[in-house]
Amino acid sequence: MNIARPSFLKALLAALALLAVGLPAQAAPPKARVSVGATLPLTGSEARIGGFVKEGYELAFEEVNKAGGLQVGNQKLPVALTLLDDATNQATAVSLADKLINSDKVDFLLGTYSSHLIEAQSTVAEQYKVPYLQGGGGATKIFKRGFKYLFGTISPVELLGTTLMTWIDQQQKAGKLPKPAKIALLWENTAHGKDFRKGVSDFVAQNKGAYIISVDESFALDGKDFSALLGKVKAAKVDLFLADAHLPDYITMHRQYVASGLCHKVVSYGARGSEKGAIDALGVENVKYILSGVWWSSQLAAKPGPSRDFVTAFKARYGGRDPEWFQALAYLSAKTLFAAIQQAGTVDREAVRQKLATMKVKSLLPGGPLEFPAALGQQAQNPFVVQQNTPDGKSPIIFPQDVATGTGVAANPKCPN
Amino acid sequence: MERFIDLALSAVLLAGLYATMAYGLGIIYGVLRVVNLAHGGVIMMGAYMGWVLHRKLGVDPYLSIPIVVAASYLLGVAMYRVLVRHLPRGAAGGPASLLLLFGFWLVLRNGAYLLFTGDDQSITTAWSTSSVVVLGSQLSVSRLAVLAIGSVIPVGLHLFLHRTHLGRAIRAVAQNPDSCTLVGVDVERIYGITFGIGTALAGVAGLLSATLFAFNPGSGSSELLKSFVVVVLGGMGSVPGTGLAALILAVVEVFAILVLPSYLTSAVGFVMLVLVLVIRPGGLFGHRVLG
Amino acid sequence: MRSRIRGLAPTPILAGFLLTGAALAVLPLVLELSIYTHNLMTLTFLSVAGALAWNWMGGFLGQVSFGHAATFGVGGFVAARIVLWAPVPAPLAWLVGGLVAGVFALGAHPALRLRGPYFSIATIGLGEATRLLFTYWEDFTGGSSGLSLPIETALKHRLYWWGLGLVVLVTAASWLIRRSGLGLQLLAIKADVDAAADLGVSATFYQDLMIALSGAVVGVTGGMWASYFSFIEPNDMFGFDRSIGFVLMAVIGGVGTVLGPLLGAVVFVLLRQYLLASYPQLYLGVYGLLLIFIILFEPLGLTGLLRRLWQRLSALRGKV
Repeated sequence: MNIARPSFLKALLAALALLAVGLPAQAAPPKARVSVGATLPLTGSEARIGGFVKEGYELAFEEVNKAGGLQVGNQKLPVALTLLDDATNQATAVSLADKLINSDKVDFLLGTYSSHLIEAQSTVAEQYKVPYLQGGGGATKIFKRGFKYLFGTISPVELLGTTLMTWIDQQQKAGKLPKPAKIALLWENTAHGKDFRKGVSDFVAQNKGAYIISVDESFALDGKDFSALLGKVKAAKVDLFLADAHLPDYITMHRQYVASGLCHKVVSYGARGSEKGAIDALGVENVKYILSGVWWSSQLAAKPGPSRDFVTAFKARYGGRDPEWFQALAYLSAKTLFAAIQQAGTVDREAVRQKLATMKVKSLLPGGPLEFPAALGQQAQNPFVVQQNTPDGKSPIIFPQDVATGTGVAANPKCPN
Repeated sequence: MERFIDLALSAVLLAGLYATMAYGLGIIYGVLRVVNLAHGGVIMMGAYMGWVLHRKLGVDPYLSIPIVVAASYLLGVAMYRVLVRHLPRGAAGGPASLLLLFGFWLVLRNGAYLLFTGDDQSITTAWSTSSVVVLGSQLSVSRLAVLAIGSVIPVGLHLFLHRTHLGRAIRAVAQNPDSCTLVGVDVERIYGITFGIGTALAGVAGLLSATLFAFNPGSGSSELLKSFVVVVLGGMGSVPGTGLAALILAVVEVFAILVLPSYLTSAVGFVMLVLVLVIRPGGLFGHRVLG
Repeated sequence: MRSRIRGLAPTPILAGFLLTGAALAVLPLVLELSIYTHNLMTLTFLSVAGALAWNWMGGFLGQVSFGHAATFGVGGFVAARIVLWAPVPAPLAWLVGGLVAGVFALGAHPALRLRGPYFSIATIGLGEATRLLFTYWEDFTGGSSGLSLPIETALKHRLYWWGLGLVVLVTAASWLIRRSGLGLQLLAIKADVDAAADLGVSATFYQDLMIALSGAVVGVTGGMWASYFSFIEPNDMFGFDRSIGFVLMAVIGGVGTVLGPLLGAVVFVLLRQYLLASYPQLYLGVYGLLLIFIILFEPLGLTGLLRRLWQRLSALRGKV
C-alpha cells in the first residue's frame, strides 16, 4: 500500500501533460470567414437578459449571412459567432474571453451583459488588442480606464439620471411641481445604481435651490424587505421618488410602496417600469404614471428608419414579439462592428479599431449619429428616451420631444392633493 | 411617535415572515440535529409550486397551502429516506450533512432553471397590493396574512407535539433516540416524518413569500441565512424560541435604519448570529447545546 | 489510513513531488502552450493553493469554514490597494495582503470554540457580514463598482510560476504539518478538543495558528487573483459562492488528505470549464450530484476512490 502515493502524482502529471498536449496552440486557418466571439450570462442571475442579448446578436449575424456575408475588401466573407456561457461569473467571463481569443482565435469580441462582467472581461480584450464592442454595461467607470479597444454603444447610466431630471425640471418650470422639490433617491448598491445616483445628484447640484435630496440611501441587490427604507421615505415627506433597481427588486419594492399607501408627484425606478412582466406582477392600476428611462424603445419604430427596420426584422424572426432595448443594443453593437469591418475593408484588428474610433453612423438610437468620442472613453452619448405608463397599460415616449409618442403627466394625478 | 409606530408595525410584519421561514429549519435541527442547508432550495420550490398552481390552474395561493404542504412533505420524506438517513449522526456528521444537503440544493436549483428558466416570477392576486389601516399605518393584506399564518404555525406545532401520540414520540426522539428504540419507537420513521414536516413548513414559507416577493431559481440564499439567524437566536429547535427570535431580529433590523445606512441593516443580523453563537450558543432563551 | 500516511517512506514521494513541480515549471518553456492553456493552468494553481490552505482548517482541524472568501477578499483588496498606491513589486503586495488577511482571519478567534455545524454556521455569518461591510466601504474597495488595476501582461504571464511556486510551498507545508508533531496535535484536537486539552495540547493556540496561516495563504492567492484579473469587485471576491468553492474543491478531492484538495481543485476548475462550454444548463446539477455522491459513497472523495482502485489493483496483482 505504501507506493499508493507516488502513483497519484504520476497520474496527476500524466493528466496535466495530456491537458497541455491536448490543447496546443493552433495554427491560424486561411481567412474564409470573419469570426466573432462573445460570452453571455445564459445561466445564473442575469440569465433572462443574457437570452435577450443572444437574440439581438443572432439576428444581426443571420441578416448578414443571408445577404451573402460581409464585403471585406474585394471578397465576401460569411460571419460566424462563437457564443459561450459565462454563468454570470466574472472569473468565467474572463477565462472564456481568453479562450475565445487565444484558443478559438476569434477576430473580434462582442460584449457580455451587465457592468461588472464587462468591466472584468474587457481587460482581456485590451490586453490582447482585440476590438470589443458592447451594449450591455453602461457604468461610466468602465470607460474611464483609457482603454483603446473597448467601445460602448450604450450611453452612460448617469445620463439616465440627468435625462429624467431634465424632464422633471421642465415640469417644475411649468409650475406643475413644487419648488424646491424634495427628492428621495434610492439606488441599488451596484455600479449601475451609483451612476444613476451621480446623474441625479449632479443635476441637483447644478440647479441650486430647485431640488433638495432628503433621502439618499442604497439597498442590497435582491433585498426582500424594504419596509424600513420606505418608512424613512414616508417620514421625510418628499415630492419626488427616484429609485434605481433591477426587475425583481422593482416588483418587490413597488408592491410594498403601494401597500404602504405611498404616493409621490413623480415616481421612477430608473430603467424599470414599462416591462410587461412587471405590469402583470403589479397590475396596470399600480404602475400608472411611473416614469422610466431606457436606451431604446420599440416605439421608436413609429417613424421609418433603422428602428423600424430592426423591429420588423425582429418580429419576423421571433414570432411577433416586440424587442426591448437589450436586443436592440446587442443588434446595434454587432451591426456597428460589421460596418466598421466593411469600411476598413479588412479584418485587421488595428484597422477596425481605428475605424470604430472615428466612425459616425446613423443608428437606431435616438439623438444624433452613433459615435465613440475618445474624450469620453469611447462610450456613445445618445440620449435616453423617457417613457411614462398610462392608465390603459401603454408606455408612450414622452421625452425627448422629437421622438415623443405621447404627453407626460406631472404631478401624479393618482395622489390625493 | 408616528414614525415609531410605523417602524414597530413593520417589525411585527417582518417577524411573521422570518418566523414562517425559520420553523422548518428549526424543527429539523431540533429533532435530527441536522442543519438542512437545502432549506433555501425547498423555499424556492415551494414558491414555484404555488406559482404553477396559480398560473396554470388558477388556484388561489392561500387555498393551495394544503397541496404545497402535502407535496413538500413527500419531498422531505424522500430526502430523508434517500439522502439524510445515510449520514453519520452527531457532531462528526455535521459538515457532511451540510455538504450533502447543499449538493441537493444545487440539484433543485438546476432543476428549477431547466423547468422554469431564470425569469423572475411572482404570484399576483387581487389583494397583492391592497392594504388596511391599523393604528394610522397602512399595512399590506398579504403581509398580514403571512403574519397570521406565522402565528398559527407555532400554536399548531405546540398542540401537535404535546397533544398527539406522534407528537410526543417526536419529542421523545428529540430528547433521547436511544431509549426510544428500547421502548419500541421506530426512530427512523419518526425522523422521516419530522424531516417531512420541516420541509413542508419550508414549502409553505416559500409559497407565502412568493405572494410578497419576486423570485427565480437562484432565490433562497437570503431566506436561508435569515432562517439561520432566527434559529440560532431562538435556541436551535425551540418553537416558541423561534417565534420570539424572529421578532427580535426583525425589530433590530427595522430600527437599525434610524442609526445605520439602509444597506448595512442586514449585516446586523449576521453580527448577531455570530455573537449569539459565541456568547450564548444555546440561543437567547434555550438550553446550551454545547459542552 | 492515517498511519499509512505517516508510515510512508519520504524518498519516492519527495522525488515524485519535486519531479512534478519541475516538469510543470519547464512545461511552458518546452511545449508551445496556447496562452489560454497557460492561463487556465495559472488559475488552477491559484485554486489548488487556496484549497490546500482551506484544508488546514477544514481537513486537519475538522473546522469546516464556509467563510474563507473573507480572507481571500481582504488579501486581494489590500494587495490591489498597495499596487495602486506605490510602485512596489507585485509579490510584495501579495505578501502584505496575505499577512493582513492572516491577521484578519484571527478575528474569527471567538468562533473557534464552536465545533461542527456551529462553527460552519458562524463562518457563514462572519463571511456575509464581511462582504456587506467591505461592499459598503467605498473608499477602500471602490464599493460595488470595484477596483481596476493597470493591465500587466508580463506579470500575468509570470503568474504561472508564482502560482506554481505557491502550490509547491503549500503542498510541502501541508506535508510537513501532517508528518510533524503539529499534525498529531491537530489530529488530537480534531478528534476531541477536550481530551486534547487534557493531554496538554493547547487547542486555542493551534487553532489560532492554523486559521491565521490558512487565512494568510488564501489572502496571498487573493492578491495574485487581483493581479491576474486586473479588476476585482467585493461582491465577487467576498461572495458566498467563492467560500463554497473552497469547500467543494477540498471535498471533491478528499478532505483532510494532502493530495485531496490538490486533485479536487484541478478537477473542479477543469470540470467547470468543460461543463460551462458544453453543458452550461447542467453544471450546477452536476456539481450537486457529485457532492451527494461523494458524501454518501466516498467521504474521502477522489483520493478515497483512487485508493480503492489501487487496493483492487494490488489485490489482483497479488493473486497473479
